[in-house]
Amino acid sequence: MKLALRHVFVLAVCAFAVFPILFVISAALNPLGTLASTELLPTGASLENFGDLLTSETYPFGRWFFNSVFIALVSSFASMVLSLMAAYAFSRMRFTGRRVGLLALLLIQMFPQFLAIVTIFMIFTRVTELYPALGFDTVWGLLLLYLGGALGVNTWLMKGFLDTVPKELDEAATVDGATHAQIFWRIILPLVTPILAVTALLAFISTMSEFLMANVFLRDPDSKTLAVGMYGMIAGDHRNTNFGMFAAATLITAVPTVGVFLWLQKYIVSGLTAGAVKG
Amino acid sequence: MRIRALGVAALATLAFAATACGGSSSQTPAEGTASSAASSAPATAGGTLVIWADPNRVKALKPFADQFGTENGVTVEVKEISKDNQTTFLTASQQGSGPDIMIGAHDWIGNLVQNGAIDPVTLTEEQKAAFSPKAIQAMTFNGQIYGAPYAVENIALIRNTQLAPDAPATIEDMIAKGKELKKDGKVKEVLCLPVGQKGDAFHVYPIFASGGGALFGTTSSGDPDPKQVLLGSEGSVKAFEKLAELGEKGEGALRTSLTNENYIPTFAGGKCAFLISGPWAIGEIKKAGVSYDITAVPPFKDGQPATPFVGVQAFFVASKGKNKALAQEFVANYVTNKDVAKALYDADPRPPALSAALEEVQASDPDAAKFMEAGKDGLPMPAIPAMAAIWEPFGIAETSVVKGGDPAKAAAAAQKAIDGALKN
Amino acid sequence: MTTDVREPGRAAPRPRPERTTAFVVSRIAVLGVAAAILLYAVPPLVAAESWVPLTLLCAATAGISYLYLTRRFIPAKYLIPGTVFLIAFQVFPVLYTVTTAFTNFGDGHRGDKAAAIAAIQSGSVRQAPGSPEYTLTAALRGEELVFLLVDPKTEQVSLGTKDGVEPLPGAQVGLTGKVLAAPGLTVLKAPEAAARGQEISALAVPTRDGLIKANGLSRAVEGKATLVYDAACDCIQGEGGPWQADESQGYFVNAEGEHLAQGWQVNVGFDNFLRVLTEPTISRYFAGVLGWNLVFALASVLGTFALGMSVALALHHPRMRGTRVYRIVLILPYAMPAFAMLLVWRDMFNRDFGLINQLLGAEIDWLGQTATARLGVVLVNLWLGFPYMFLVTTGALQAIPRELTEAAAIDGATPWKAFRRVTLPLLLVALTPLLISSFAFNFNNYNAIALTTDGGPFPAENPMVGGTDLLITYTFRLAFGPAGAQFGFAAAISVFIFAIVAIISAVAFRRTRKQEEVYA
Repeated sequence: MKLALRHVFVLAVCAFAVFPILFVISAALNPLGTLASTELLPTGASLENFGDLLTSETYPFGRWFFNSVFIALVSSFASMVLSLMAAYAFSRMRFTGRRVGLLALLLIQMFPQFLAIVTIFMIFTRVTELYPALGFDTVWGLLLLYLGGALGVNTWLMKGFLDTVPKELDEAATVDGATHAQIFWRIILPLVTPILAVTALLAFISTMSEFLMANVFLRDPDSKTLAVGMYGMIAGDHRNTNFGMFAAATLITAVPTVGVFLWLQKYIVSGLTAGAVKG
Repeated sequence: MRIRALGVAALATLAFAATACGGSSSQTPAEGTASSAASSAPATAGGTLVIWADPNRVKALKPFADQFGTENGVTVEVKEISKDNQTTFLTASQQGSGPDIMIGAHDWIGNLVQNGAIDPVTLTEEQKAAFSPKAIQAMTFNGQIYGAPYAVENIALIRNTQLAPDAPATIEDMIAKGKELKKDGKVKEVLCLPVGQKGDAFHVYPIFASGGGALFGTTSSGDPDPKQVLLGSEGSVKAFEKLAELGEKGEGALRTSLTNENYIPTFAGGKCAFLISGPWAIGEIKKAGVSYDITAVPPFKDGQPATPFVGVQAFFVASKGKNKALAQEFVANYVTNKDVAKALYDADPRPPALSAALEEVQASDPDAAKFMEAGKDGLPMPAIPAMAAIWEPFGIAETSVVKGGDPAKAAAAAQKAIDGALKN
Repeated sequence: MTTDVREPGRAAPRPRPERTTAFVVSRIAVLGVAAAILLYAVPPLVAAESWVPLTLLCAATAGISYLYLTRRFIPAKYLIPGTVFLIAFQVFPVLYTVTTAFTNFGDGHRGDKAAAIAAIQSGSVRQAPGSPEYTLTAALRGEELVFLLVDPKTEQVSLGTKDGVEPLPGAQVGLTGKVLAAPGLTVLKAPEAAARGQEISALAVPTRDGLIKANGLSRAVEGKATLVYDAACDCIQGEGGPWQADESQGYFVNAEGEHLAQGWQVNVGFDNFLRVLTEPTISRYFAGVLGWNLVFALASVLGTFALGMSVALALHHPRMRGTRVYRIVLILPYAMPAFAMLLVWRDMFNRDFGLINQLLGAEIDWLGQTATARLGVVLVNLWLGFPYMFLVTTGALQAIPRELTEAAAIDGATPWKAFRRVTLPLLLVALTPLLISSFAFNFNNYNAIALTTDGGPFPAENPMVGGTDLLITYTFRLAFGPAGAQFGFAAAISVFIFAIVAIISAVAFRRTRKQEEVYA
């Protein structure tokens, strides 16, 4: 009985989650799809918009898709590693500046980021002159920039999780003569997969939808990410004409995220890990 | 195992180097410029010309850019910026990573000039004569021409000729016809004109002007004068009263629920007979298969002319571009060529500013000329930076009277807000 | 940052670890990477003669190499990689932004004085009345770049150099009006001229009352600057002038108090901060806007957390079926591009065309009235934000041993009590920082407002502040609206907003400190 109630509740939330998306699906399937159509069910169903999108001369959607997924995968992996390393230090070691550092991580994110763009221009104008391979219009420069956000609230999330892993585990290993690097890679890492998967997913999603920096960074039509390219599709007066394609693009954008989630889901909720944590 | 951590460390160090470089430019600007010249010189030995455009124009420009590149032995790169084009251009320019040529709207000129971001362009008398006079007028700021125009656009009245076969002579006629059609259940809306929750000064302006409203007084030289804001003037209050009469508590022709997103689809779906919009609406209307005609926005009976704003799209030469001579060559002598104008038209059908290109386009597409005709008395959108202070208060006043608010109060509040912002 | 770096476990002396292969290999790798970085990064810096960055780079590389070569400073080994990026791309931009708060940096004041003067002078060049528009051919006299100027009317050819204009006999003029050949000169072809574009732009040929300058590569005109900078009086001479430099405003002003459009960046001290405090349009509405802003941020955090956690708990049951599918559906709102979905939501709230009224059969002007608009934006934010909370709660739940809740159940606690006493406190240990950070994010959630209501609805009598305006949307409208972008002012505003958020967060944080120490 209790289970039935759970299902009812979860289904209700699912309905809430899905209902605006149905609207997007409707627009994507409607050959005359516009942001303004009032019908939740499309008047006509066709895959025309998807076809237009994938064959468009103006919008190299395939390239954008590839760029986005590549950048999001690399950057979420790298920031996960950086973040975990920091979280490990914050959770397991005691050193001066630990609390201040933790607090600073939280506070620095609170400054309105809006104006940072001017500084980013300043930094990367110089970098582009000196090291074109890491400058504007390169994926590597953008990746470097994204790593600036690697430490942050995710570090806190991991630290919170690491705090729940019993200290006795690594103390025992230390006594056995393991180095800190061995403890980190061989003992801690396997135990924290759920939270690693969560933070990787969060980083992946936020990179996929990052717009502000990518917009000023990537200017070649072929180097754009999905968020930037799609924004261009509905920018200005073309909003209505392109909305069908845009809705189709929105749906396709969700595919890699869902894919990554499917892949990571087993790590996020693995009963085995819960057993291991208890040591 | 350690090696992976080391790889990360290596990346980290690179970033640190980047910081170090970034840091220096704030401390030693002089050294910064010197080194930028030094390092950019070898890069541009073959010559590179960088053009920034919005996504819709990149593809159309590419072949011409390449042709220009081959003729002059340079590489031409067309880059694409999707959002906040003007501010991105200003910020990038000032930091030294901007383009040589920027594509934008003429009403940016005031702000670009006060930031020293663009250079005047000298066109010969012959070249000037080849453009529509409206376009040249719009590009002129402080007596100088800043850039080469390529498209002129303004709004007009687009009507569904099946529902309304005759072009209305006055706004009153149009409203009467619209209401009649609505009563008969043939349409859902009297008039498709975007208002939204924050108003839309651009689209309502012809009606506002016909009602006797005005934005700025004029200086002795005939330019708009930011020191004289006229939104609270008697004429403007009258015009706001007219808007209120057309609004939700009156004729129901202006409605806040009609927005920039839905007004064209509503017309294209046959749900209203009259649409006030620009060339950008045509694609969707054609796709929907509605038969239509384009005429000027009619005035009120015994009212002033319903003058629309005229906007001009243009190529600008960036002051801080690395290759100015080439940029000037491209803007003044190459873009002014008919084929380029035609290609840009094909990519995005807005009436070409070049008369010869317009004539050619006209043969296959009469709409361009009809829009041009509808805008012949139009007012080039003021390019003075003060114009930025107008849009929002004007729009909010519009929404408020459309919802049935007091026109005099709304006009006074808008005037006060604008004067406050402009420190008049 | 790390002076006392001993791990608690290392306090007791223990045998020094032997030098294993891994140890040696890793140290060699450190040196290799350091060398690679230096090889890559140093030459451009040397070429650009940027000695300060070069010194910094070498010092940093040396420092970091040392850090990984030694056995000491263990916490730093783990912290440095992320911190370096953090400093470069977060801390430095924030600090730089704060410094601009003390300047008038913004439209009209973006560059320095020299740039303003250059822009004023070049913008004031008028074509000399009646002067010909020459067809230009660039040529070389020896190594010197010269102009060959053809008057299209008379077809007369002149030679323009930095010393002046003189007639050039014997030149051969082609059909386009360009010079094909001239005695003693090397005529540059198009690509050669293009390659010397910078020199061509720079060459100014003096005439009796002006200068001939290239306009592109194939035309040149005689022009005269109507405004000229005079270093002696630090002023601009010419039309409407003299325009005296005013270093306090960063403008050239004349006797009538007018100024030239192009200004430069100057320090204005605390003016921007004072303006935030004294500007009546800010102070009059501050309390009201702040109040709603707090409600919005709190409602967003608590709402998303409550909903996200509830679903996570509902799915966290060993016999629950279909969890994979549920989870995928639940994260969908988060997988969609937020900006697109905000626009979709806005249109769903439309009075006459929107889906919501259609489903409800109502005629509510959702975004046209303050109360419903506020409800609307909170609802939209709930939709956008709950999957995040769902994900992090799901992750954090895995760390809570099921035995704890089971034990509570055996002790006779109701499920609600078990949740309140066991699960929730444990969840909060891990999630409080996230809740605080989410509060800060929503406090400044510019997009959620800008893309839905854009601050509206606005009362007719006051177009400055709308019903759903947050501090950041409202003040940034002042800073970036009417008078162009005023970055300095916006930076000062940011500092104030940051102070408000940071204080609230720090207070909230202190309250959680005890919890953390207990569990950690």
